[in-house]
Amino acid sequence: MKTLVSAAALLAASLFAIPASAANLVLYTSQPNEDAQATVDGFMAANTDIKVDWVRDGTPKIMAKLQAEIQAGNPVADVLLIADVVTLERLKEEGKLLAYKSPEAAQYDAALYDADGYYYSTKLITTGIMYNTSAAMKPTSWKDLAKPEAKGLVTMPSPLASGAALIHAQTLAAVPGLGWDFYKSLADNAAVASGGNGVVLKSVASGEKAYGMVVDYLPIREKAKGAPVEFVFPSEGVSAVTEPVGILASTKNADAAKKFVDYILSEKGQEGFLKLGYIPARNGMKLPDGFPPRDTIKVLPVKAAEALKNTDKDLKTFTDLFGSK
Amino acid sequence: MQGYVRAGSSQPVWLFPFIVSVVLLLSVLPLARLAVVGISAFANGGVMVVLSDPMVWSAVYYTIVTAILGTVISLVIGCAFAYLLTLTDIPAKGPLSFFFVLPMMIPPQVTALAWVQMSGPSSPLLKALHIAPPMGSPQPLYSVGGIALLYGVQHAPLVYLALRAGLMTLPRDGVEAARLSGASSLRVFRDIILPLSLPGVIAGAAISFVSCTGNFGIPAILGIPASIFTLPTLIFSKFTAFTGRTFGDVALLSAIIALISLAGLAIQDRALRGRDYRVIGLSGATAAFELGGWKLIFTPLLWIILFFMLAAPFFALVAGALVPAYGVPLTFKTMTFHAFEEILFRQAVTRTAFINSLSLASGAAVGLLFVTVLAAYALTRRKDTLSRIVSSLVEIPYSLPGIVMAVCFILVFAAPIPLLNVTLYGTVWIILIAYFSSFFAVSLKPVVSAFHQLDPALEEAARLSGAGFFRRLKDIIVPLIAPAAGASVILVFLIACNELTISALLWSAGTQTLGVAIYNLDDSGSSDLASALSVLVVFMVVAMMLLLELLAKHLPKGVVPWRS
Repeated sequence: MKTLVSAAALLAASLFAIPASAANLVLYTSQPNEDAQATVDGFMAANTDIKVDWVRDGTPKIMAKLQAEIQAGNPVADVLLIADVVTLERLKEEGKLLAYKSPEAAQYDAALYDADGYYYSTKLITTGIMYNTSAAMKPTSWKDLAKPEAKGLVTMPSPLASGAALIHAQTLAAVPGLGWDFYKSLADNAAVASGGNGVVLKSVASGEKAYGMVVDYLPIREKAKGAPVEFVFPSEGVSAVTEPVGILASTKNADAAKKFVDYILSEKGQEGFLKLGYIPARNGMKLPDGFPPRDTIKVLPVKAAEALKNTDKDLKTFTDLFGSK
Repeated sequence: MQGYVRAGSSQPVWLFPFIVSVVLLLSVLPLARLAVVGISAFANGGVMVVLSDPMVWSAVYYTIVTAILGTVISLVIGCAFAYLLTLTDIPAKGPLSFFFVLPMMIPPQVTALAWVQMSGPSSPLLKALHIAPPMGSPQPLYSVGGIALLYGVQHAPLVYLALRAGLMTLPRDGVEAARLSGASSLRVFRDIILPLSLPGVIAGAAISFVSCTGNFGIPAILGIPASIFTLPTLIFSKFTAFTGRTFGDVALLSAIIALISLAGLAIQDRALRGRDYRVIGLSGATAAFELGGWKLIFTPLLWIILFFMLAAPFFALVAGALVPAYGVPLTFKTMTFHAFEEILFRQAVTRTAFINSLSLASGAAVGLLFVTVLAAYALTRRKDTLSRIVSSLVEIPYSLPGIVMAVCFILVFAAPIPLLNVTLYGTVWIILIAYFSSFFAVSLKPVVSAFHQLDPALEEAARLSGAGFFRRLKDIIVPLIAPAAGASVILVFLIACNELTISALLWSAGTQTLGVAIYNLDDSGSSDLASALSVLVVFMVVAMMLLLELLAKHLPKGVVPWRS
């Protein structure tokens, strides 16, 4: 018995090796786990001397985590790769970001990055409509989701859990003929909003719901794997976020962080995104399989400064309609 | 003889103060900090903002309703198993007991995930069997009933274990006397067994209720999609929408959970009052009832319940891990091991989570053991009011929901520690300290009961022969309490390994636990990966339990909870 206990104690002691985070770089990202791992693996293959630790969560949640850490005086992240420029614009105004002029920026449209080098867009993620192939209606316009055929069958991500969803709501709210009234008609049509884009994908692909607002690459990718879903770019146009990358001013690994930014913007990094099914932001890149030609996709404009100013008000308007999920 | 052996003088001077300071650090400081933040929020009028929020009241309502329903369900299932497996001659008791305790050892969010995969229009399992409900039908588990049902399944083993302990000590002579006087089995059960085992039932109900109010994994996966928030999930969502007011709000919400749990415990005290049955006589009323023809009904019934509690959700989980994409029916043609490949060979988080969970669990189990041996020594040797107060202070963090303790520790360690200027928030150490605090009571119980059985004369003899404290500890005390110490380590390890509530709030980059990794994978829409990781965790838990089962021969009675 005694030997047994000491054996157990030894075993436990050997297991109790302190899990030190030996990473030289910490990335906070809102990409799905598989994509985040692929991005990090690609970077580490190109920079064998740098180890990257990463955390994935919805943009609002990851920002909450970061804010809590900043308040505690211990921000863990070095680099952010999250949904939208609005969030990074806010961090820039608060002085939380580090300016870095990447040489790769020459290959990008000037509208896609911050002139002072505080953040760089990395890809184009549009939000359109996905539907289950056994759904009765084939939606072509946003307004189709408010039709009686879609009553109780529509789902969308919540702006509380997804950065893209917030920008999407703010974009549609500014479109004449849609606006918040359109969202009200969705709420009256028993549409639900909860969780992030992953939740929407799951519930439409599985047939819990028939229609969903969702980011483009998820359903296009799943369709290729055989899931019973279709994706449409509605006639009024789609909203877009650009998943910018930015370095935190509090970083202790500025050099590694700059290498990370360079890699993400480089042709190699962009090809990685292309392979995962995203539209790369870099000039002269192809589109992933399953996308219509780039010039047929009508991207609706969003005024970043205004969006930033109205964020709290818009969140409240949204949650009053759909509850805070 | 008594006069020669004066107990209580054998302790080193530093021992008791050391224990008191540990308890102050682990129990008093965090709760005091919570109280201070709560009170200051109160003073700033923040309390009105919180209390006037309808979300809070609906969360209180849902917390209480799901906890009460869940407790009732767990009582029905747990009592049925306890009475049948302890008092009758039902066949295959060992395997039945082993499998019945299994759900308790599996992280609640894995249970929830498995059940979701098992039902509703999205179920790969039902799709494969062509019995999935039509499109647009809601997932039935995303409801108050669904949450309560899974609470019942998750906590039935707790009721079973609490009641079983009581049934084991039932006196056989009462039952036999009644039998000889010609009482029927039913009559014996109603008039003797039921009243005598009532304290066990009440204790089980209280444990189950408190566990329900503090559960996070089940309402997170089943409640959030239907916007049913319980207090723990509401606290979590407050943290995911962080503002300057978050800490104050969360302190108040934690206080509400603490009040609900304490109310449950108070009701238990009331119910137990005047029910102090000290029974003497031959204990071990095992197999007092012969089922006879009833065997044909009860045996399949128990196995069917087990099938629905364990086998069906597990197959659903495996099916969910093998589908190539959502909504694709699972056939031998579509089956793919992609999710397992991704989890095993590509996702860095898998390794991180396994290492973190295993090292945190063993760190908590072994680290606590050192403290508990000393604490148990001090607390059993001193018999004054102060040591009784210390004992009850140790109990508090365990009886409060994990999420409350997590909030306490965030408040204590969010700012750098004065003098040392180290920040623990965001490191693995804050999780370990929170585990220390929450599982102190679990670790202490078996060791204290072992100390109560020690004859002080042994140690006194060594002391009179001039052996110092550590020498006595090494040569006399530790060998004698070793079995109990082993039990304490194993219990803490199993509980800590599967924990999510505490780490859900305290994790950070590189410090994800298994519970966090599974929840996060599911949240990002990769439920195939979440299922694959869950399958691995289930295998790990079963392997650990089997290991214990194999060791059971060498362990003292009562260490392995599911064995008689």
